[in-house]
Amino acid sequence: MRKLFNLTLGVVTSIGGFVEVGSISTSAQAGAEFGFSLLWAVAVATLFLAALAEMAGRLAAVSKRSMAAAVRERFGIHFQIIPLSAELVIDTLLLTAELGGVAIAIKMLTGIGFQWWILPVGLVAWLVLWLGNFSVIEDGIGLLGMVTLSFVVAAWRLHPTAGQVVGGFVPTVPHHDITRYAFMTVSIIGATVSPYLLNFYSSGAIEEKWTEQDLWINRLTAWFGMGFGSTVAMGCLVTAAIVLGPQHVKVETYEQAAQMFVPVYGRWAVTLFALSLGIGCFGAAVEIALNAGYVLGQSLGWTWGIDKKRRDTSRFVAAFSLVLLLAVAIASIGFDPLRVTLISVALTVVIMPLVVLPFLVLMNDEQYVGRHTSGPIGNGLLATITILGALMAMVVIPLEILGG
Amino acid sequence: MNATIRLDRLLGREVHTANNRRFGRLEEFRAERRGDAWFIIEYVVGTAGLLERLGLGARLILGLERGGGYVVRWDQLDLSNPDRPRLTCSVDDLRRK
Amino acid sequence: MDIVRDVLDTRVVDRNGREMGRVDGIVVDCQPNQPCRLAAIVIGPAALGDRLHPALGQFVRRLEKRFGLDQNRPAQIEFADVDEIETKIRLRLTISDTAVDAVEKRLRAWVGRLPGAR
Repeated sequence: MRKLFNLTLGVVTSIGGFVEVGSISTSAQAGAEFGFSLLWAVAVATLFLAALAEMAGRLAAVSKRSMAAAVRERFGIHFQIIPLSAELVIDTLLLTAELGGVAIAIKMLTGIGFQWWILPVGLVAWLVLWLGNFSVIEDGIGLLGMVTLSFVVAAWRLHPTAGQVVGGFVPTVPHHDITRYAFMTVSIIGATVSPYLLNFYSSGAIEEKWTEQDLWINRLTAWFGMGFGSTVAMGCLVTAAIVLGPQHVKVETYEQAAQMFVPVYGRWAVTLFALSLGIGCFGAAVEIALNAGYVLGQSLGWTWGIDKKRRDTSRFVAAFSLVLLLAVAIASIGFDPLRVTLISVALTVVIMPLVVLPFLVLMNDEQYVGRHTSGPIGNGLLATITILGALMAMVVIPLEILGG
Repeated sequence: MNATIRLDRLLGREVHTANNRRFGRLEEFRAERRGDAWFIIEYVVGTAGLLERLGLGARLILGLERGGGYVVRWDQLDLSNPDRPRLTCSVDDLRRK
Repeated sequence: MDIVRDVLDTRVVDRNGREMGRVDGIVVDCQPNQPCRLAAIVIGPAALGDRLHPALGQFVRRLEKRFGLDQNRPAQIEFADVDEIETKIRLRLTISDTAVDAVEKRLRAWVGRLPGAR
């Protein structure tokens, strides 16, 4: 009974940090410019993410190693240094964008310029990590993140027809702006399948001390959790499609995106949008900073863990603190969060093959996953993701220039 | 030869044959316990490419055995110049991986 | 025992189970007409730097010296002090017998001073 409760909590809290600056930006733009026709991209991206998360969780539960630890041990530092460095750079950029997202949300609520909020937000995020523990952080972020369900409610209240929705799940080539469409597809995938999410998920499995007995929990949390989270991204896309599409609004600021809530929520539109954006981004910011600590600690062999005494994990604390400090510094220089988001999303796509390839090996290595190796379906899916990832990696930079 | 060597720095290093042709790369060191200490009794030299070495090649995905290579006994490898390991015997005397 | 697969990059814990780091390097002693003997495991960022590029290892050593953290580092632990090699390597020593936690201790002085430190 307790396991069922924890499972439900796990699924529900997966919303926290799932919908953040990347998915809100890409879903809003996708809906505004292409109507329903990119719903299939959100679905495919979620499928990839859930499959990879399940594998990351299985790896952690059976081998008792997180992704970063397993990659270091199986492939050595010469291989790992590349995805590790890339991930740290991308995560810092993404963290900067998330802090920017929170700052913009607060600006929308208070009218006070967004630059003033970067440092306070960074400080609060740090305090959450300094004082919290894993359950408090995860459950807190998750429960607060429920406000993002406003996107789902809005989409529901706008009464899209079944035809429109179902049609969106069938991949079609659009009549106009094919490069932009391709760019949006790739961006949606890059915004969803963030490398930090995978290592974070596997680290969480270790923090929660999952074992082989918990593999079913892992499967359900990965699939239903990510699935649940994706309904929010889809809600955002559908709402943007119905409200912003006909107005031919090209979403270039978050203030413009917030307009999608007006028909449904009236004078609460901006408040609800700001709360969803702000809380979603804050949750992601906390997770990304924490993950920087995880990746470094696990790769380099430090004592790590947010449930341990801070005194015993000083290097780990230094890592998450420094990355937050760095992101605050970059954000304070002044930048366009939407632009930084799209850059981090593009970079995520570029390193995706390097992140996924180790899975192909680890999921088939009995030394790591015991008898729970991936069957033909799992390997087929991994091979597909790797190949698609490589293809996307090759086109994303040209697409960004042509369609971005 | 009397030397203290960092074994990890040998990993991935090119091994040459007795007549100085490139042969493969050091990819594994097999140790055996003798008395109180462990000794490196065999060196695994891979002749396959980079991807194969990392186990990421098509062979792995298709479930086949890892790529080509040889097992070199400790007395068949000359480490007097650690930057340039050399075989002391002919390739024909080597055991296949 | 396969060194690259089972020893290199593996986690190391001390006699009491405390994390010491990962095997960043391995030292062998090669005498004429004998197989090389495993002499020591090396733990420390300088050793890790050495593996990636000699200049990087030198850079880390200079940094450590600059901060007064270079005594007995990178830690060389005699193979005789290795107790067992499983998914992690357990030593017969305790962490305080080595200098692996020098950086951690130094940072602890800072972290411990922050309000609310537990």
